[in-house]
Amino acid sequence: MTGRSARLLHALGLLVTLSFTLFPFYWMVSSSLKEQAALLASPPVWLFRPTLANYAEIFADQKVSGAILNSLIVVCTTTFLAVCLGTPAAYALARFEFRGKRDLWFWFISNRMISPIVLALPVYLLALQVNLLDTHLVLILIYLTFNLPIVIWICTDQFRSIPRDLEQAARLEGADQFTIFRRIYLPLGVPGIAVSAIFSFIFSWNELLYALVLTRRQVQTAPVVATSFMSGYELPWGKIMATGTVIVLPVTLFALAVSRHMVRGLTMGATK
Amino acid sequence: MAFLSLDGIVKRYGDHTVVDGVGFRAEKGEFIVFVGPSGCGKSTLLRMIAGLEEITAGTLAIDGREVTHVEPAARQVAMVFQSYALYPHMSVFENMAFGLQMAKMPADEIRRRVEEAAAILQIGPLLQRKPRQLSGGQRQRVAIGRAIVRHPKLFLFDEPLSNLDAELRTQMRIEIARLHQKLGVTMVYVTHDQIEAMTLADRIVVLRAGRIEQVGTPSELYDAPVNTFVAGFIGSPRMNFLPATVAEAAEDRLTLTHPSFVDGRLVAAPRRGGARVGARGGARVGDRVTVGLRPEHLALDGAAPSLRLRAEMTENLGGSTQIYARPADGEALSILTPGRPAVAAGDELPVRVAPEQIYLFDGAGLAI
Ligand SMILES: Nc1ncnc2c1ncn2[C@@H]1O[C@H](COP(=O)(O)OP(=O)(O)O)[C@@H](O)[C@H]1O
Ligand SMILES: [Mg+2]
Repeated sequence: MTGRSARLLHALGLLVTLSFTLFPFYWMVSSSLKEQAALLASPPVWLFRPTLANYAEIFADQKVSGAILNSLIVVCTTTFLAVCLGTPAAYALARFEFRGKRDLWFWFISNRMISPIVLALPVYLLALQVNLLDTHLVLILIYLTFNLPIVIWICTDQFRSIPRDLEQAARLEGADQFTIFRRIYLPLGVPGIAVSAIFSFIFSWNELLYALVLTRRQVQTAPVVATSFMSGYELPWGKIMATGTVIVLPVTLFALAVSRHMVRGLTMGATK
Repeated sequence: MAFLSLDGIVKRYGDHTVVDGVGFRAEKGEFIVFVGPSGCGKSTLLRMIAGLEEITAGTLAIDGREVTHVEPAARQVAMVFQSYALYPHMSVFENMAFGLQMAKMPADEIRRRVEEAAAILQIGPLLQRKPRQLSGGQRQRVAIGRAIVRHPKLFLFDEPLSNLDAELRTQMRIEIARLHQKLGVTMVYVTHDQIEAMTLADRIVVLRAGRIEQVGTPSELYDAPVNTFVAGFIGSPRMNFLPATVAEAAEDRLTLTHPSFVDGRLVAAPRRGGARVGARGGARVGDRVTVGLRPEHLALDGAAPSLRLRAEMTENLGGSTQIYARPADGEALSILTPGRPAVAAGDELPVRVAPEQIYLFDGAGLAI
């Protein structure tokens, strides 16, 4: 095969993959700009006069803006806490020997082996017992449970790749353990920390199961509200799609902004 | 009172002994070089002095104070790492200022000290750069600068030049020697390169497998190595070794036999500067000994040859020539001779060595 036809095939493959992954987004965004009649038309209409009516409607709805605020509160707090708690733990795991280290490490990893739905009922009952249902705190706690291992996992790997000599040079110069962590490990671990923050952010932002189970009215998050339109006899597809677009937008922008770190982080350790 | 003293220092990892009872003393201002083959425990020893490794047994004192289990920072030592260990996210200035900040020094004093060190090392224009924007030699200077600014009591170097190319290595070697003269501070320097050891050291500590083989000035080690290990390690090109038998033992003269000696015999006299000059008499007729011949002591001389060898290969070094030549049996010997003698492979070479330039070792490899 010549180089040119190989490149052509390559491009074709990319095109297929791209349309496959991007089409649902296109469909969501374009549907959010259609009126109900155009939405339900069969065969679907490709050319239509876009309208912002759906957006006007969802933003007028207190429920949607409240949900987005809830989501922001829960997700930002979770991500912030996951990074604040996860990075020192990762430093300890990366650089110190202590009893039970292997067990702790395995526990962190095995946390991610459990399917979340298995725990949904016990967690619900627990939250009910301690009166935490329908609070921001319960969502933050449960998301933290899922996100901390990811942060610790990625950051441990990142911190391990920082040469030990740096830490020892700093120790000789009189830096204490915390200074070493703050002035050497944190700045040099930025790629890993950024990636784990993104993962944490996206996971919490998209999470539906626990948000659905653990909230009532007060702290419904954005994905819950989006699905809540699906009750009743009529499906307001325009509003659902508009809400979906609004939900996806922040993560997309966030991910685009930090995508360079993301690629660097995902391939880190590859050359070890 | 010695400035730096090590007593019975031991390091074990599990039941693997890496440093096995090292003891020696250094005076204030001395330049000490630890030299030995890779894996002999040099770095471990240095890192124990720095406090980066726990000392399993023994005592360590710096400037009259016992510091065996003292925190590294409290020992007032500075170390230059083989990897340089510069903080990649900090500028050269910040790298050099870090330790002073840790000591809570005022900002203007920090600036003054960093600029002073930068001037000594000629890295003033680089202060705002990041380590990745520096060449290997410049990084090396920054690493040294970072050590200087703290005005430590003791400088430790762990193979600081091994990542540089040959030309830079020579240049930095001279600069380190100059720095030592200028600062007059005690330095301990680790290397596996015997040329660095010979050129830099006031005294050399030769290590093998976690033990000290010999301590002495470069000349002492060159003139009077205590065993074949030190003899082979110090000096370049390496000393040649040849087995022989004692045929006659006079008061201060031994006659040795080996098939490649002219007439089968070679006379060895006490060496100038040899540590055990008088002990030669200890050898008895019939003893198996090892003869050590330094390549630079062998001369091509048809008039009064002591050995007959067959030339195998020559290397033209420009001003001198290194010839590899084989005795009647055994391994090739190297000969370092000035100029460019016309020698072709297969030629029979008459080689002369002065009787007082012959090193002798007994069956166990210890100097006679
Ligand atoms: N942390 C460690 N655990 C076990 N063995 C070690 C450790 N560090 C060094 N060693 C061993 O100690 C020996 C000496 O190492 P080192 O001091 O680095 O040698 P050198 O610097 O002379 O090349 C080596 O055999 C090495 O494998
Ligand atoms: Mg070493």
